[in-house]
Amino acid sequence: MKLHVNGIERSLDVDPDMPLLWAIRDVLGLTGTKYGCGEALCGACTVHVDGHAVRACVTPMRRAEGRTVTTIEGLSPDGSHALQQAWLALRVPQCGYCQAGQIMTAAALLAKNPQPSNDAIDAAMAGNICRCGTYSRIRAAIRKAAGLPPDEGSGQ
Amino acid sequence: MVLRPVAPGELRSPADFQSIVDRGARSRALFAEAGGVLQHPRCVNCHPNGDVPHQGMQHTLHDPPVVRGPENDGVPGNECTTCHQNHNQQLTRVPGAPKWHLAPIEMAWAGKSLGYLCRQLQDPLRNGGRTLAQIVDHSTNDELVAWGWSPGHEREAVPGTQKQFGALIAAWVETGAQCPAEDKE
Amino acid sequence: MTELVLMTRREALAGLGVGLAIGLFPLIGAASESSGQTGSGPQAASGPEEQPSSGLNPNVMVHVARNGQTTIVCHRSEMGQGVRSTIPLLIADELGADPARIRVRQADGDAKYGDQNTDGSSSIRKFYEDLRRTGAATRMMLIAAAAQRWHVKPESCSAKNHEVVHLPSKRALPFSELVDAAAKLPVPKKESIVLRPESELVHVNDPNLPLLDGLAIVTGSAVFGADVKLPNLLIAVIARPPAVGSKWLRYDTRRALAVPGVKRVVEMPAPKLPWHFQPWGGIAVVADNTWAALRGRAELDVTWDPGPNASYGSASFRDELLASVRASGKVLRDVGDVEAAFAKATKVVEAEYHVPHLAHLQMEPLVACARFENNRCEVWAPTQNPQDARKEVARVLDMSEDQVTVHVTLLGGGFGRKSKADFVSEAAFLAKACGVPIRVQWTREDDVRHDYYNAVNAQRLRAAFDEQGRFTAWHHRTAFTPIGSTFAVEVDTPTLNDLQQGVLDLALAAPNVRAEACRAPVHARIGWYRSVYNIFHAFAVGSFIDELAYARGADPRDTWLEVIGPPKLHSLADLGISKLPNYGETLERHPVDAGRLRHVIERVTQAARWSDRKGRALGLAAHRSFVSYTAVVISVVPDRARRLRIDEAWITMDAGTVVNRDRVHSQLEGSLAMGISNALYGGVTMTHGVTDQTNYHDARVARIGDFPRHIHTDIVPSTAPPSGVGEPGVPPVAPAIANAIFALTGQRIREIPLARALGTYRLPTHPILNQSTLDGGMR
Repeated sequence: MKLHVNGIERSLDVDPDMPLLWAIRDVLGLTGTKYGCGEALCGACTVHVDGHAVRACVTPMRRAEGRTVTTIEGLSPDGSHALQQAWLALRVPQCGYCQAGQIMTAAALLAKNPQPSNDAIDAAMAGNICRCGTYSRIRAAIRKAAGLPPDEGSGQ
Repeated sequence: MVLRPVAPGELRSPADFQSIVDRGARSRALFAEAGGVLQHPRCVNCHPNGDVPHQGMQHTLHDPPVVRGPENDGVPGNECTTCHQNHNQQLTRVPGAPKWHLAPIEMAWAGKSLGYLCRQLQDPLRNGGRTLAQIVDHSTNDELVAWGWSPGHEREAVPGTQKQFGALIAAWVETGAQCPAEDKE
Repeated sequence: MTELVLMTRREALAGLGVGLAIGLFPLIGAASESSGQTGSGPQAASGPEEQPSSGLNPNVMVHVARNGQTTIVCHRSEMGQGVRSTIPLLIADELGADPARIRVRQADGDAKYGDQNTDGSSSIRKFYEDLRRTGAATRMMLIAAAAQRWHVKPESCSAKNHEVVHLPSKRALPFSELVDAAAKLPVPKKESIVLRPESELVHVNDPNLPLLDGLAIVTGSAVFGADVKLPNLLIAVIARPPAVGSKWLRYDTRRALAVPGVKRVVEMPAPKLPWHFQPWGGIAVVADNTWAALRGRAELDVTWDPGPNASYGSASFRDELLASVRASGKVLRDVGDVEAAFAKATKVVEAEYHVPHLAHLQMEPLVACARFENNRCEVWAPTQNPQDARKEVARVLDMSEDQVTVHVTLLGGGFGRKSKADFVSEAAFLAKACGVPIRVQWTREDDVRHDYYNAVNAQRLRAAFDEQGRFTAWHHRTAFTPIGSTFAVEVDTPTLNDLQQGVLDLALAAPNVRAEACRAPVHARIGWYRSVYNIFHAFAVGSFIDELAYARGADPRDTWLEVIGPPKLHSLADLGISKLPNYGETLERHPVDAGRLRHVIERVTQAARWSDRKGRALGLAAHRSFVSYTAVVISVVPDRARRLRIDEAWITMDAGTVVNRDRVHSQLEGSLAMGISNALYGGVTMTHGVTDQTNYHDARVARIGDFPRHIHTDIVPSTAPPSGVGEPGVPPVAPAIANAIFALTGQRIREIPLARALGTYRLPTHPILNQSTLDGGMR
């Protein structure tokens, strides 16, 4: 099966029903995309297929065949994507395990809705769980990456 | 008039209603039978009367939290097809069918009476501009509608088969597409 | 890799050795360890094992190479609390190193590092001075070498920015030029080590301190447990017994082995009581990729016997626990005469509370990798306790510990689950059985069902007031199966050590106080979960004090302050207890300080404009745990559909002296999230000994919409000794939420999850709806 992954054409000999997650991790060795629940409940496995956010743990390889897949490793060559920079500036991560999925979902949001309201941010991000509780920083970092002013009414 | 008893999960066919002489009464009875499909959670759950799909036999709100979005298919970053594939996933339990999305709000069925559904289904302003013939075609052949009969992973299917459902709708149309007399809109 | 001299850090610091000859220590890193960020900060050490180099190595924590490159060890596990960003920089600041020339090496599990059990909110509070001393000792040796070369007094020199400066003459020498000479000097004895003023610890106290692993995390190169790559690695997924103690009766390998990619099916050993950290057993399917292993496991068609806990059900056990607290138990706290006080009381308030088992639900499901070769076992795991993991692997493989190496990866959340080595020794067992490196991957279902749950609990509280309205008596009973039951089957009643968490260390003004521990036999595997028994003790006490306020028409803040009493350091006699483990601290260093508890209450209510709360529904609670003091105010609002939402939260913590303030703030944010999850959705239940829940759809946690849009995190400025940060934010959150719900609705909910008990009001099952459309009239 042929597909483009992070700009490189790859040819994989795998079960067409294998979820994209395991092809990415086990066959291609790209471990930035994480396994969190295996049932599209947590969002840790979010990648882009033709620019759309999909949950790799439930997306069979047959859907990705012939398409362009972007993982967290391919979002930018060097961490320079506005979201990655905002994530670093605001020190969003705690354990970090969910953050690749958070960033990929946020990137799909900003690509279509470059100036989202807080309600639009929450609607897009509602499927991504962070057990460490970095939610307020995630929202703030998305706003920052979008060039929106910081929210009033929170603080240290 | 007593209809032939059927097992749970079984749909009667148009032939079972031939004994109803009055055409209007027969039409209404056919629609009530089709109502066993229309009002089943598998169908109602994606025809919500709000911005959130339902899940399960108790019409629980969809979890993870998702919303309708401007084109009834979610929002960027959290689209229906972010998780739902074009066929059911077995090991990972996620239901799927081609073009998974919500029925538009004007086609909301949740919380509506059978009479309301009947009138709504025929109203071009609320049925996507369809003729009755197109309604019959949609019921009989649409792939997303088909999902109701093969919902996958331990989910209860709607009664009968899609073919039987299509036949009931066709027979209902053929008898004048009459609606149950209910005063709730 | 050779080591010429191995001297433990503690020995070096205690000055037991005469001095330390040049120590070469192997620079071992975890496989494919991520690189840190470019720029001006420390870097995580990456790459394969390096050759031993000479240099300055006064203790196991610090190595200064001849070119000045300084390697500092992080010996505690990183699970989001920021130890990797904090500990090495604390040492570096004390040393006077330039952060850009620091590499951080994650320590393997080895007793030479001292305590590596990253548990109990103790990384800074227990090791603050010791860590600084490792940096200070190194600094003193470098300064001594420079002073000798310049023929000046060491006191006239200082170390900063990776060089030693002679202050009067401004002569400077970089560390690289001093390493050889310094390495020949004796390591300073502990008594002679001088620490800098805290104001000189500039980087670790920089409020904008970046995350060591930040770039790696946001670009996907950070290495967690399942990201470790080894040649010829196979993946194992285990079909696990559904209930603890249950075994397989039958299984079928034929269809499993027919799945392409599946290589073997291996039986895991069954555990024997008491469970300790033994894996539960089951059948492992081993394959060359995870998907094949998952498919193979699904084909096994295992029949399980129900096991000895098949009669355990949460509903009936709840009744058992409530019955237990309605009878007397073991008295562990006793002051005055509670019976007499209640007998002559004018008003008595009484309530019972119940908190179910709680699961960890950390984002990274359990996973571990192991390789068994040449009679040695090497393991890579996201473990909170690498020394225990090493012990367990050695036990399971019947080897000595020095044949076992445990590397620590990043942890995708721990919260106490990853202190238990069961998931590590499984990988070692399979690696030996299969003769190839093995990764054991737990599914989310495995993780939810085979957790070491927080104990399920019931409590009964009574308070008495005399005819002047004075608070005269407090009687507290608590029933739960303590963690000790995991290690000894006969343990069925909490001990004094268990009740220190929020029952015995609670400052109370009443002159008559009694606390009793009541029986709760074990049926599930119990373990530590972020703040542990404090969760339910704070829920009950925090709710009860609120109930006392409303019972008397008083302001809850005033009642809190009245119940706690005046500022005072409570002695054991005051508390009415025989001893207090006090989280391993002395009472001198970390007293039971009513003043500090009052202070956080006053501070948080001030921030929340408590006195001006008309029109708002606010709930207040406070708690002492891990020798810190935390107070929380929660605001709850309804929407048109009578659904409740937490719209704002304030959390104030007094953790004594803090470092890396941004990580303390992030722990407060995270504690709010975890407290909200616990309160709204918390609870796993069991039927016939099997956990009912399996994944995030029924073992729910807070999502972004559950989290208040406005939060205020506040750290009390303090020079007191450092106290816990990771856990103490959690306990007061749930009672504050329950109290806010009461303020809004008049409904008092005494059970978690709060969502279940709400009547006409209910929590949105769909948090992002907030003020928007109704749910279609289905209800």
